Amino acid sequence: MPAGRAAVVFTAAAALLSNSAIAAETPDELVARGRAVLEAAGGCTCHTDFDDDGPPLAGGRPLSTPFGVYYSTNITPDPETGIGRWSDADFARAMREGRAPDGSAYFPVFPYTSFTGMSDEDLRALKAYLFSLAPVRRENRPHDVWPPFSWRLSARIWQWLHFEPARFSPDPSQTAAWNRGAYLVHAVAHCGECHTPRTLTGAIDRSRWLAGASDGPEGELAPNITPHETTGIGRWTATDLVWYLQMGFDPDGDDAQGLMRETIEHGFQHVPRTDLEAIATYLATVPPIENRLLDHADHADHADPEP
Amino acid sequence: MAVRLVDRPLGLLALVVFASVAALPARAQSPAASDEGTIRYRQKLMSGVGADMGAIGDILKYGLPLQSHIATYATLLSQRSELVAAAFERDVSAGPTDAKPEIWQEPEAFREKTQAMKDEADKLAAIAAGGDAAAIGQQVKALGDACGSCHDSFRKPKEESYKRAGAGS
Ligand code: HEC
Repeated sequence: MPAGRAAVVFTAAAALLSNSAIAAETPDELVARGRAVLEAAGGCTCHTDFDDDGPPLAGGRPLSTPFGVYYSTNITPDPETGIGRWSDADFARAMREGRAPDGSAYFPVFPYTSFTGMSDEDLRALKAYLFSLAPVRRENRPHDVWPPFSWRLSARIWQWLHFEPARFSPDPSQTAAWNRGAYLVHAVAHCGECHTPRTLTGAIDRSRWLAGASDGPEGELAPNITPHETTGIGRWTATDLVWYLQMGFDPDGDDAQGLMRETIEHGFQHVPRTDLEAIATYLATVPPIENRLLDHADHADHADPEP
Repeated sequence: MAVRLVDRPLGLLALVVFASVAALPARAQSPAASDEGTIRYRQKLMSGVGADMGAIGDILKYGLPLQSHIATYATLLSQRSELVAAAFERDVSAGPTDAKPEIWQEPEAFREKTQAMKDEADKLAAIAAGGDAAAIGQQVKALGDACGSCHDSFRKPKEESYKRAGAGS
């Protein structure tokens, strides 16, 4: 960078710094931070139709649920078929309140129930990153869901019953690392959306937080990740968990499959180590819940110390 | 007596072979039981693969001063890949196994996956001998992807696993 321009940037940055460190970001830095937010969210791979070689983040991926098949939407900045016309406020409202720009309610297959905890800065960065991508023209597909679950009004009623927008609020009695981990797990990485069982009406069962879902998204089994000794991941060390999120290998050398593999490959493996350690710090403190989803007892190779 | 047998090594061999065959329980020869044996053997073999990968993982993730062991595990994994290819030749897909029938419907595709495991393991053995930690980490991941890619097509996912709690048996 020419010295003159560098000086100008420097002065401008210094002036902004007096307001807030983040305001001093260049557009490139903002986009880079947004990319990191997307990675901490697991890469938003629900919006990529891998099976049909769909373009990244252009939607159309079928997401099967007990209520039918939803199709994810195009979140590239295409003005016609994507989110190219959305303002920052539209984006924040969709993510944190589950409302489309026209005010209609989103179905909870879109995990705004977690994203509602996200900070202003992270959302601004995420949107900047999405808007830095090439727009892809790809029409959204109507959902294939049975009434009454197909009616937008029922999404409204669902929200009224089960959803209260709320920013993440740190617990001052805990360390900064714990709070960072809690923020990532709850709001950004939305681990609980897959790893927590749901009630009959499809709401996350908060009393069984992270206790595993035998019929999770796309029908996949998402294991119990509470620190329960024998049915959760209580025997994993923090190092084991960081390694799993970086490399996709559990302590027994088995590889992560399905949705977890996707979120690692397109997201978690790129997350800074300190953040992964923060996630481990927080996870070690959630209440251990006994919930056996996989039976190792009859498996000769895994000696189970349980009777 | 002992002296005489030592004098006749072949006699001893015949006696030993006869005794062990006679001692085999009859059911071990029935087809159903050997299906069970095939499944059990395959699972032990695959657990061994997991143990090798887990051991490599421990060396790297805890930064143990045992990096020189990685080349040995990689060589083992390369050899195991051949055992895997052979152990899955016989079609046993019913019973307490997560092997998908596709293994025997698309034997060539399965063969390619075990070959990929071998290729990546051989590469790891070569790279590990060099000792560049970053390159080793990358190749371990490549080897892991070979596992994952085969499992994607040929191993039942957890929700379909015989190990799923309440899946019955
Ligand atoms: C999109 C759904 C989804 C999200 C989001 C998700 N997971 Fe998973 N996770 C899964 C599935 C499915 C599996 C099972 C993978 C397999 O079969 O190998 C899994 C497996 C795991 C395992 C292995 C557990 C075991 O006992 O083998 C851990 C640990 C884990 N996830 C932690 C996390 C953490 C921490 C987060 C958030 C940072 C997270 N997951 C977010 C779906 C998800």
